[in-house]
Amino acid sequence: MNFLSYPRPLADLITALSRLPGIGPKTAGRLAFYLLQEPEAAEALAQSIRAAKEEIRQCSLCCNFTDSDPCALCQSDQRDHSLLCVVEQPRDVAALEKTGEYKGLYHVLHGTLSPMEGIGPDQLRIKELLGRLEGVKEVVMAVNPTVEGETTALYLSRLLKPMGILVTRIAHGLPVGGDLEYADEVTIARALEGRRQL
Amino acid sequence: MSVYQADAIVIRSREYGESDRLLTLFSREQGKLQAIAKGVRKPKSRQRAGAQLFTYADYLLHKGHTLDTVNEASPRESFPHLWNDFERSLAATGMAELLDVATLPGQPHPELFTLTLTGFFLLEHYSPFLIQGAYALRLLHILGYHPRLENCAECGAKVEGSRIFFSPAAGGIVCSHCRGAYSGRWVAAGSLAFMRQLLYRDMDKLDRLRWNSSLRDEVLAATEFYCEQKFERRLRSWQMRNLGCGRESDYGSESDKQH
Ligand SMILES: [Zn+2]
Ligand SMILES: [Zn+2]
Repeated sequence: MNFLSYPRPLADLITALSRLPGIGPKTAGRLAFYLLQEPEAAEALAQSIRAAKEEIRQCSLCCNFTDSDPCALCQSDQRDHSLLCVVEQPRDVAALEKTGEYKGLYHVLHGTLSPMEGIGPDQLRIKELLGRLEGVKEVVMAVNPTVEGETTALYLSRLLKPMGILVTRIAHGLPVGGDLEYADEVTIARALEGRRQL
Repeated sequence: MSVYQADAIVIRSREYGESDRLLTLFSREQGKLQAIAKGVRKPKSRQRAGAQLFTYADYLLHKGHTLDTVNEASPRESFPHLWNDFERSLAATGMAELLDVATLPGQPHPELFTLTLTGFFLLEHYSPFLIQGAYALRLLHILGYHPRLENCAECGAKVEGSRIFFSPAAGGIVCSHCRGAYSGRWVAAGSLAFMRQLLYRDMDKLDRLRWNSSLRDEVLAATEFYCEQKFERRLRSWQMRNLGCGRESDYGSESDKQH
C-alpha cells in the first residue's frame, strides 16, 4: 500500500490502527495524521491504552475484564451466586447489566465454538466455567442467536446437565418493533418455543 | 453488471467490523464468492437470516471495488436441524469447510452446489457423519480427485489383504508392488469397501448403511487424510469431530427420527 512510502513510524502507526476492528486503511491514515497534529490527544490516548492494558485483566472466576480480582460482581453479596449467565463477550455483560433485570453472576466465554476457524473448547473459557460450579443451581445460556452460539450452548448443556444443573436459555424471538411477516422461519420457531402464558 | 442475483448457500459467516458479517457464499451459477452483509448483527436488520451460516437464500448482490455487498437476501431454507443438533451442525461445518478449501472463487460448479444442498437436507434425518463422509468422497469425484478404491491406482491390479495401503499421492489404494516410495496409510479392507458404498450408492439410500464407531472413525480419518493431502490444507472442523459424542445408534436408523 502507498502509505509504506511514509516515514517508518508513521507507516507503523497506520498499520497498527488499521488492524483495529471496523477501521480500514483510509480511516487509519486519517486517525494517524490527526494524532500527529494533536500531540496532547495522542499522549492521553497512549497513556490510557497503556493503563488499560496494565490494570485490566480477566477475573479468575467469571473471566470478565476487571481491575480487581475477583471482580466486583463476583464479590457482591447482593447477587444470587447459585445462578450463572453464560455470555460470549464482556460487552454482553454490559448489555445485560443495563437492563437491571438480572441478579445472578456471569461467565464470559470470550467467543463461541467455531470449528471452521479452529476455535474449540480449549480456546474458550470453558475449563474455568466447569471449575466454578459448586453451589450453582442454574446456568442460563445468553449466547447470540447464531449457529455458532446455539451449538456452543448445546455443547455446554451436554457437559452441565449430567452434573444435575438446570440449563436454560434466554428466549430468542421477534425483535421489539419487528413485523412478524418479515421474520424468518428460525426466528418464528424460536419465538414459539419461548412462548408464555398471558 | 453492478447488481447481480445469486442462488446461494452460506458456507462461512464471520463477524466483520461493528455490525457486519463477511459471508462466503457458494452459488449455483457463479461458484464461491465473498460478500459483506451490512448491519446484520443488529436485531432489527431484515437481512439477518440471510447472513447466518448454512442458510440457503436468493441474494441480490452489489458488485464493489474490493468486496461485494448483500443488497437483499430472501431465505429459502434455514435448516433448523443444523441449529439445534450438535452433531448435525458439526457435520455441516465439516462439509462447508471442505467445500471452501476445495474450491476457488468464481469457478462455477453447479453439481457441487446441488450436492451441498442435498447434503444439508439429508442431515435432517440421516446419520450426520455418514452424510459428511459421502459428501467428501463425492466432492472429490466431482472435482476429478476421486480416490481409486477398487484396484491399484498405479497398475490396476486387484489388491488383496485385510489392510490395504491407501495413498493420496498415488490417487487411491496401491498394491505391494507399486507401493514403492509412496506416502500413505494402512486402511482396513472393510473401511475401503464402506467408502465405495458412500461414493457410489444413491444419496437417498445411504440410510440403509450401518457402521459402528470404529469403522466410522477409520472411514472419516482416511477420507480426511485424502482431502487434506489433495487440497494441501488442514480441515480444522474435521479434526474436531470428536467433540461430538453422539452415539451412532442415536442416528441413522429410519425408525428413530428425533422429535
Ligand atoms: Zn468476576
Ligand atoms: Zn499396483
